[in-house]
Amino acid sequence: MVFFAEAYLAGLVREMVYDPSGQRLGRIEDVFVRPNPRSMYPLVSKIAVRLSEGGRTVLIPWQQVRSASYEGFRLATDLERAVAALADEDVSVRQRLLDRQIIDVSGKRVVRVHDLKFGGVGHEVLLTHVDIGWRGILRRLNWEHFTLGVCRLLHVRFPERLIAWEHVQMPSDGEEIHVDASREVLRKMPPEDLADIVEKLSVPERASFLGGIDDEVAAEALQEMEPEAQVSVVQELSNEQASDIIEEMEPDAGADLLADLPESRADAILDLMEPEEAADLRELMSHSEDSAGGLMTVEYVAVPQGITAAEALERVRVEAQDIGTVYYVYVVGAEGELKGVFSLKELVCAAPDTLVEALMATEVHRVELDTPQDDIAHIVAHYDLLAVPVVDRENHLRGIVTMDDAIDQAIPTSWKKRIPKAFGR
Amino acid sequence: MGRLIRHLRSRWLALLPLFAVIGPGIVTATVDNDAGGITTYSLCGAQFGTKLLWTLVPTTLALVVAQEMCSRMGVVTRKGLADLIRENFGVRTTFLLLLGLLIANLGTTCAEFSGIAASCELFHIPKYVAVPLAALGVWWLVLRGTYRGVEKVFLLATVFYGAYIVSGLLGHLPWRHLLVETIRPQIEPSYAYVAMFVGVVGTTIAPWMQFYLQAAVVDKGLTAKDYRYSRLDVMLGYALTMTVAFFVIATCSKFLHEHQPPIRIETAKEAALALEPVARGYSKSLFGFGLFVSSLFGATVLPLSTTFCICEGIGWERGVDRNFREAPEFYTLYTAMIVIGALVAVWPHAPLVPIMYWSQVLNGAMLPPLLILMLLLINRPEIMGGWVNSLALTAVAWLTSIVLILLSVILLIGLAFPWTS
Repeated sequence: MVFFAEAYLAGLVREMVYDPSGQRLGRIEDVFVRPNPRSMYPLVSKIAVRLSEGGRTVLIPWQQVRSASYEGFRLATDLERAVAALADEDVSVRQRLLDRQIIDVSGKRVVRVHDLKFGGVGHEVLLTHVDIGWRGILRRLNWEHFTLGVCRLLHVRFPERLIAWEHVQMPSDGEEIHVDASREVLRKMPPEDLADIVEKLSVPERASFLGGIDDEVAAEALQEMEPEAQVSVVQELSNEQASDIIEEMEPDAGADLLADLPESRADAILDLMEPEEAADLRELMSHSEDSAGGLMTVEYVAVPQGITAAEALERVRVEAQDIGTVYYVYVVGAEGELKGVFSLKELVCAAPDTLVEALMATEVHRVELDTPQDDIAHIVAHYDLLAVPVVDRENHLRGIVTMDDAIDQAIPTSWKKRIPKAFGR
Repeated sequence: MGRLIRHLRSRWLALLPLFAVIGPGIVTATVDNDAGGITTYSLCGAQFGTKLLWTLVPTTLALVVAQEMCSRMGVVTRKGLADLIRENFGVRTTFLLLLGLLIANLGTTCAEFSGIAASCELFHIPKYVAVPLAALGVWWLVLRGTYRGVEKVFLLATVFYGAYIVSGLLGHLPWRHLLVETIRPQIEPSYAYVAMFVGVVGTTIAPWMQFYLQAAVVDKGLTAKDYRYSRLDVMLGYALTMTVAFFVIATCSKFLHEHQPPIRIETAKEAALALEPVARGYSKSLFGFGLFVSSLFGATVLPLSTTFCICEGIGWERGVDRNFREAPEFYTLYTAMIVIGALVAVWPHAPLVPIMYWSQVLNGAMLPPLLILMLLLINRPEIMGGWVNSLALTAVAWLTSIVLILLSVILLIGLAFPWTS
């Protein structure tokens, strides 16, 4: 048996296929791959051959190929016995990969596939790399040899630009593709990077991409995107998908997004959520977007009066699990009225049996639901706060505005990008 | 009174979606009347009077058909034209098409900058000052502003095209005669006539416009439900553009062609200069100003749209919201186009006329294959879903393409064998 060690699709699709007697059958037109149970590189499962006689295209399983080299492919059996039908798991590389855009997970970008590289291992052939460089284009145009010759004369190196398959993610237009190897990498990627990648896809691709990954990861990526992009993506998702993802977003971001949607759509999405979360979001949505009510989040830790520092710390431990960030602990009365505040550091350093009343500062800088953003930004900056509590007219604690949200619009976007993300958001 | 206001307000609110969608069509149509366009219309009026006025109607229809297909592909697929062509027709087709587009548009960019140079010289501003300033301004505007901002500037600037209409209105044109000429085809069996016809069609329906409109529609995030407004946007744009073309031809016809003896001109600048003594004093300034604005638009949009769709087709990072490190090819190509365009415009004795001529020819030669690719794309249900062409529209589109192909072939034959003309 003769098999090649490596080959490019551009080369393969010019290969001739012969039957066992050496009779020429036709030319390879396409290659199909399927998931590989033993490694992350998809296996070549079938080749599509365009017959010289009749111009028909037939599919031939890879097992029926006895030898494959650049001198041509020879089948093990007669054509009639070799032909097979397309299986569900077979993916056409020409239709789904070649000339398409893919996500290069390692480079965190979207690139176009110029060519595909295969590697032979024993009798199996694996899809190993995608070619995203000029050499791929030149190979397709039949100019690679010429260009390399010129480069050699000039002593210039002309390296290939390949991405290994494990770093490739295929953005599908809806249906699931099972040959992806990189879901795990995506899960671990910082949401800001993921958002950058998603924003480079077309809108339908964004939606199917976010719909295909974990709700939690999708939510984090979604809330890093521009408001307009968020809306366009959600408009492509089903109500169920949208409600699952928005539930995982931080409430203030989720509420902002819902407020930007058409009312009927927002209602449909909210109706599918847990009643409690839906109520929180509706409350946040009812306030103007650049007032404290619209900027605040309802994720904060509040403790009642009369408990000790040790008990308070225990509450923080439990409640903070579901909360993005905790800088302060608020002390509230029986009706929810704001009594005082202490920082997490003060709580940790306090003697366990100290009462919270002794620990807290009673002079709390607070804002009301309708306080405009500029004023909040001023208070936060002036008193060096990481978050400021929001109260209603009866002084009931309703939420907090974190520093990043407070200053978000007070400084131009280009500056924001230069500010290091100090608070792990 | 209150009821009237409420009524008016509800009427206005019904139009709101239109205002959110409007832009790509009007901007594309406006830039269509660039330096090359204005020059061609001026020459057309000066040489043939109102004989070719009728061509504006079928040309506009053909253009609307082509542009409507692009805007539909944009809203349905949310992908650019270069992207669709690459995914469906492979590297070879895409590469050739983009290479042609690059060369043709580079030539046209040179024409735009020389239009800036010529119009500024009318106002006694030396081109060595005007062209570098314009190049820098264009480069800066696009790279440092967001696309939305740029689009608003363009939309606002469409008003300046009113200069041509004003100069026509000041010239007391023979309206009844002009309207008759617009709907009465007059065919003259001479090569010069056919060449001018092809010139008008070629400068009006340029390949870059199809790429630009679709990219702008996608960039604006329009979807299938905005389609009706998007189509209206396209039609509105061309109604506006053709009005401008009408006035240029009519004005040049009255004051240059019908002048005794007829005044021969070669460029739009000469048209403006020639208008001064024969028409009222305003026409020169208005024509000069119109030429400046249209050249500036062309110089802004052409390099950007060319670079954008080349990067899209090849698969490079693109867009003004990426920085140089993220999208080096995009910035290099964009800057190079502007620098080359501006350099050629100020270069002493640069062969400007052949450059403009050949880039128009290349545009003409590329149009038929591009239209055929577009027709193939838009009739594929796997791409367009339920939005494929209707039978009637397919017929109109094919008819348009065939006529355009015939015209391009005639033009190419004339170029290849000059003695036949």
